[in-house]
Amino acid sequence: MMQIRFADYGKMKNKKSQLKIQQMAFMLMAVTLFFVLAGMFVLVYRFSQVKQSASVLEEQNSKLLVTKLANSPEFSCGNAFGSSRISCIDADKAMMLKRNIDKYTNFWGVASIEIRKVYPAGGNSTCTLLNYQNCSIIKVLSKNVNLLPASSNFVSLCKKDVYNEEVYDKCELAVFIVSSEDKRTK
Amino acid sequence: MIKKRGLINNKLGQEEMIGFVLIIVIVTIIILVFLSFSLRKSQNEVVESYQVNGFIQSFLQYTSDCRNDLEYLSVQNLIFSCRDGGTCLDKRDVCKVLNSTLKDIVKESWRVGSGRPIQGYKLDILVNKEGMLMIKEGNETQNYEGSSQDFSRKGEDFEISVIIYY
Repeated sequence: MMQIRFADYGKMKNKKSQLKIQQMAFMLMAVTLFFVLAGMFVLVYRFSQVKQSASVLEEQNSKLLVTKLANSPEFSCGNAFGSSRISCIDADKAMMLKRNIDKYTNFWGVASIEIRKVYPAGGNSTCTLLNYQNCSIIKVLSKNVNLLPASSNFVSLCKKDVYNEEVYDKCELAVFIVSSEDKRTK
Repeated sequence: MIKKRGLINNKLGQEEMIGFVLIIVIVTIIILVFLSFSLRKSQNEVVESYQVNGFIQSFLQYTSDCRNDLEYLSVQNLIFSCRDGGTCLDKRDVCKVLNSTLKDIVKESWRVGSGRPIQGYKLDILVNKEGMLMIKEGNETQNYEGSSQDFSRKGEDFEISVIIYY
């Protein structure tokens, strides 16, 4: 009678140990699964951030570009209006650049370059060679893509004008706007 | 004896559960902290100081409709001429032309309003640290960007400063 009891007790102990091992295995699996899922979540999030960072870099590039592009030889007034000026755009140069923009499409690495007259305000007419003296917006470069938020800076837009048969330098206030392509939507 | 063993087992099970819950809570807190740091986007400034500086450089070159014997005066030359007490060829007072031109330029360039990002602006022209002209509109807030430009002529120091409040 006593022997049977001991044998039963041994079996019971064995079963309990098995149950314990099973419990631990399940626990380990649950913890591993939890960490794997958390890791996957972090990885997916990190990967989505890479594209975001690329866009931020593009935006920063536009900001840097907008501060120096007005003083680049392609746009700057140089000495055409008396002394040398800073933040001054030669409107004639900009119009000619607009005409030959095919040669400059990827030169600055941006998708849109626009010069918008601020003062005196002159509506929303886009400049062509025909209405050049009375227009407001010179669209130098305009790619048909999705654009990131634009960066802008004030510039002086100068050109030669005629009044009473007399040629004089006329400078107006304008905003130079640059935007890059938004590559996230691709 | 068996009852005691059951009690010990029960206690061990409770401890395991507490440990598991603790791990989950700690990992959740770590994830939340990580998320809050990641989601904190860099706020874009409404106005950048280089824009204010570009604004000053540009409006100084603006060609006004006030003409002297030689040319149409730029805003910079209007400032000098106003200091000299000059008049335009059409007998208008240069200081009045300067005032109205600058008022219009700033108004068109920085549109102020309750629904707009710009809350106010202040343009100051000082000669030898004394006020010559001040144009002000809107509210002065804690967030602002500004820039100034100094130059001298005939031994006098001119300082032009612009502050944009947003």
